[in-house]
Amino acid sequence: MMRMKNITKRFPGVLANDKVNFDVKAGEIHALLGENGAGKSTLMRQLCGFYRPDGGEIQIDGKTVQFKSPADSINIGIGMIHQHFMLVPTLTVAENVALGLPSSRGMQLDLDVVSKKIERLAQRYGLKIHPDAYIWQLSVGEQQRVEIMKALYRGAALLALDEPTAVLTPQEVDELFKVLRGMAADGHALIFISHKLHEIIDISHRVTVMRDGAVVATHPTAGSTKTQLAREMVGREVILQYDKTDYNPGDAMLRIEDLTVMGDRGQKAVNDASLIVRAGEIFGIAGVSGNGQRELAEALTGLRPVQSGRVFVSGQELTNATPGQRIAAGQSAIPEERMREGVVKDFSVSENLILQDHDKAPYSKGIFLNFAEVAKESKRLINEFRVKTPSPETPIKNLSGGNIQKVIMAREINRKPRVLICAQPTRGVDIGASEYIHQRLLEQRSAGTATLLISEDLDELLALSDRIAVMFDGQIMAILDRNKATIEKLGLLMAGVK
Amino acid sequence: MSKINRRKFLTIAGTLSAGAALTACAAPAPTAAPAAPAGGAAKPAAKQFKVAMVCPSAVTDAAFSQSMFDAIKAVQKDMGGESGLLLKYSDNVFQVPNAAAAIRDYAGQGFDLVIAHGTQYGNSLQEIAKDFPNVAFAWGTATDNFESKGLKNVFAYNPKAEEGGYVLGVLAAKITKSNVVGVCGPVEAGDAKTFVDGFKKGVTDTNKAAKVNVTYTGNFSDVSLMAAAAETHTKAGADVLTGSSQSVVGAIGIAKDKKIVWFGTQSDQAGLAPDTVGASQVYDWSGIVKEMINMINSGKKGAVSFETTLKNGGLKIAYNDKVNIPADAKAAAAAAAKDIADGKLKALP
Amino acid sequence: MLSEFFSLTVLTGIAYSGIRLATPYLFAALGEMFAQRSGVVNLGVEGIMLVGAFTGFAVATWTSNLWLALFCAAVVGIIMGLAMSYISVNMQAEQGISGIGMHLFGLGLSSLLFKKWLGSTKAITGFQPIKIPILGDIPIIGEIFFNHNILVYIAFLLVPIAAWVLNKTTFGLKIRAVGVKPEAADSLGVSVARIRYSCVTFGGMMAGIAGAALPLALINLFQENMTSGIGFIAVALVYFGGWSPTGVMLGALLFSLVNALQLWIQVLDKDKVIPSDFALMLPYIMTIAVLAFGKRTNQPAALTKPFERGSH
Repeated sequence: MMRMKNITKRFPGVLANDKVNFDVKAGEIHALLGENGAGKSTLMRQLCGFYRPDGGEIQIDGKTVQFKSPADSINIGIGMIHQHFMLVPTLTVAENVALGLPSSRGMQLDLDVVSKKIERLAQRYGLKIHPDAYIWQLSVGEQQRVEIMKALYRGAALLALDEPTAVLTPQEVDELFKVLRGMAADGHALIFISHKLHEIIDISHRVTVMRDGAVVATHPTAGSTKTQLAREMVGREVILQYDKTDYNPGDAMLRIEDLTVMGDRGQKAVNDASLIVRAGEIFGIAGVSGNGQRELAEALTGLRPVQSGRVFVSGQELTNATPGQRIAAGQSAIPEERMREGVVKDFSVSENLILQDHDKAPYSKGIFLNFAEVAKESKRLINEFRVKTPSPETPIKNLSGGNIQKVIMAREINRKPRVLICAQPTRGVDIGASEYIHQRLLEQRSAGTATLLISEDLDELLALSDRIAVMFDGQIMAILDRNKATIEKLGLLMAGVK
Repeated sequence: MSKINRRKFLTIAGTLSAGAALTACAAPAPTAAPAAPAGGAAKPAAKQFKVAMVCPSAVTDAAFSQSMFDAIKAVQKDMGGESGLLLKYSDNVFQVPNAAAAIRDYAGQGFDLVIAHGTQYGNSLQEIAKDFPNVAFAWGTATDNFESKGLKNVFAYNPKAEEGGYVLGVLAAKITKSNVVGVCGPVEAGDAKTFVDGFKKGVTDTNKAAKVNVTYTGNFSDVSLMAAAAETHTKAGADVLTGSSQSVVGAIGIAKDKKIVWFGTQSDQAGLAPDTVGASQVYDWSGIVKEMINMINSGKKGAVSFETTLKNGGLKIAYNDKVNIPADAKAAAAAAAKDIADGKLKALP
Repeated sequence: MLSEFFSLTVLTGIAYSGIRLATPYLFAALGEMFAQRSGVVNLGVEGIMLVGAFTGFAVATWTSNLWLALFCAAVVGIIMGLAMSYISVNMQAEQGISGIGMHLFGLGLSSLLFKKWLGSTKAITGFQPIKIPILGDIPIIGEIFFNHNILVYIAFLLVPIAAWVLNKTTFGLKIRAVGVKPEAADSLGVSVARIRYSCVTFGGMMAGIAGAALPLALINLFQENMTSGIGFIAVALVYFGGWSPTGVMLGALLFSLVNALQLWIQVLDKDKVIPSDFALMLPYIMTIAVLAFGKRTNQPAALTKPFERGSH
């Protein structure tokens, strides 16, 4: 029903889409696979009227169309679920859905009518949505449902989803897939953009792989393997299974005793949690988003006060220590909110690399920065950690998520930490960079670092961890050895079932 | 990126400069004031005398700034128009740093007399006068000519505003029927304060039963607060109002609305509301301006403090015929004015 | 003094003056609230008010037609609002600085035109109080609320209307969305530029009317720079009022009631027990107190941020 022919789009210095051909049929889920920067989002943005192609054409049901603005694309029946949700947090679900649509009462809003229709559609597609809830009250998964609802409400025949699972928990992914299958069965055409291979194999009928702005392959998904898709996407063989050295845990480096931390709403976000992470061990923390993992990481990095309990790093008590004291004690952290807490957005790559050690040798002489040494070190780290950046002086905000994460890793690991607090290290990071980050974490493990790995990606936890704790409602439900942890068992614990 | 920045810059620069340009047009800095045609009465002086004035509010404020502006214009007329006296001015310069810059500019441009018409300009003027010993400056309302600080080129001028205040107080006491009189003061300082104090004394000396309610707005320019103050006075029963500063236009508007009598000061305010303003104490600076010009022409550039009084004609009571004021009130006022002039009566408590 | 203070005359006097004084603030702040809800801070309100005040006064002087005067002031406000829209939406200029530019422009233009066209000022007869039948006869209440001039009624009637437009219409929904997340509105085909133009221009019109309300309904006279900060206070009242029409109204009322109160304190305090300076501080102390203890959670997230498609 929709066909994009020879789409070409240039940005200053970049050929984002190079003669791309792509089509999707009614009732089909067509996956669009590629690493960050491969041109998937650009292609989709042309489909929904944000950009106009420099070359090529878009056809809907055989007719060439031109989109001057998002409105044109919406009117023709195309809906887009952006990676960053296009929802107004201060408005209700119904208001977000009604935004920009004519009302049945002329000037006056008809939110009751809208709500009724939302409920009808929600029932039909199995979307759990409360029309009167405010967006800011909703979880990420719920917000995504609102985005899908917006498209359905507008009668979208074609729905493009940009990395829809990047922010979801496994349960939410399952739920989303159910909805998507239902929509496809109902005759909608769906475009599913992702770089998660198993999801693509799971959900899509056909897959198109993009690399460097061009289409590498288009073929039915049935019969494809993860290894094959990964090779097509990255352009080389990709290791999906890591070789881990033997598990030889050393001394207890991070000890948490009866820790209680309050959340933003005054509730006990972390409730009486105790655990020990040993040298040479990766200790995973699993859990559905919002069960205290974020508050735990914040308490351990000094961003949130500890209510009660104690924290020791290599024997030294650091319960309510400042970030500086923690660094001095040999603790490094890779924060969950990498743009907010991991880097200074407007600083350059090299400035971010020396951010915490800028006042120590070799980066400084007295009160002055030693620019020659800073330049030398940052060049070394950029090379060693394979950070893709135009130059060390580029503002870090211009880098992709994966590369920003590499910069943070480089800075934190370069300090040779004894304890590494690592929260969601590969969220929103493409497969090539993820693979690299995972291997560096395993290297740290071999080097004897005690790593606390907080992740919502079970594959990641299972691939890296030696032991896994599951958090539910602020409490640690259980601590499992890796060989006893199965997806089923973890899933039950994550849902609060012992 | 750079394109946007430039574009933004141009926009901002454009708006700012358009605004600034217009402000400059409206408050000429410096722009020659239109001069009256050279009359036959006064002899044109041999040399053109150049006067510059800087004042805090508009020269059309019907109050403080206008009083000096009108005086210089009157002297200009006597001296044969612009060929005899050149006047340049910057008005609406309430901010002292801006005023200081303007005063310094004029001093550097070879003006014979630079008038800093605002008490708040004093400190700046003292600095500037030191740097331009050959230029004569005048500062008011003030009594300190900085001679004690070693300056020989600053004149000071001060109105004994309490004198007219007292006389207007006598009038108010005579015509009030409610025995409540309202005073809309700006800031409790300078000639505003002495005017108010004189007025109060004038009322209470004349009519023991009369109450005088006084408010201050804390501000020389807040017209709407002044209007609110006037309204409050009328609610409190006042049937005669007075007040000082350029912001009294707000109060005069209310007086007109409530059809009660207003007594003005600083300039003749009858023109603002001909059926409302009973009389005004007018600051007539023309005598002082003439005297300063004579002194400067004879080589004396300062170190004199002038005082305007009812006696020396620097203060005048201007009646407005359109408002009926009983003859006995006028007679009482005239008697008070004479006593003050003769030194038999003290206007201040 | 205290017993006098709690007399009926004084209390009704304070309430009456408070309501009347709130009028120009209310007009200007309601308009500015719409601009800010759409994401644009217009700091030029003061400048637009000055031109509105001059226009209103000049037209009233020449024609004695108050409604024509008000209309002309509104038109001038619209023109200046359009200019501000162009600067902030098309040119994406720094809104704080361009607002100050607009203020200087308005100050300069109104002074220039006043000197050129009028030169001197003479009181006009402004809008007279209209006693609302029946309601106006209720003791006390009638005196406080139902014996004002028409602009006071209009200003307060605009509060529920503004709330209705903002919360109950499709247009209001668009405004609320554009001010918080313009890219979301844009992705649904809502023209961010059109919404912001409408709101800023409406704000300009209201500022023009607010300015004209001074000579036409409050003061009966014009003076250069006569607004003396009302426009800036109106901008602050929008923050103060938490970007809601009711909040803005309460803020305007509080500010003017305290002002009325302090004037009464001065009138009644014959022996000057309380220095006038202290009484004058009252409105500002109240303002700071409320701002300090109030919350700013409702600030539109995209306030002062220009929108460009695809830049987020």
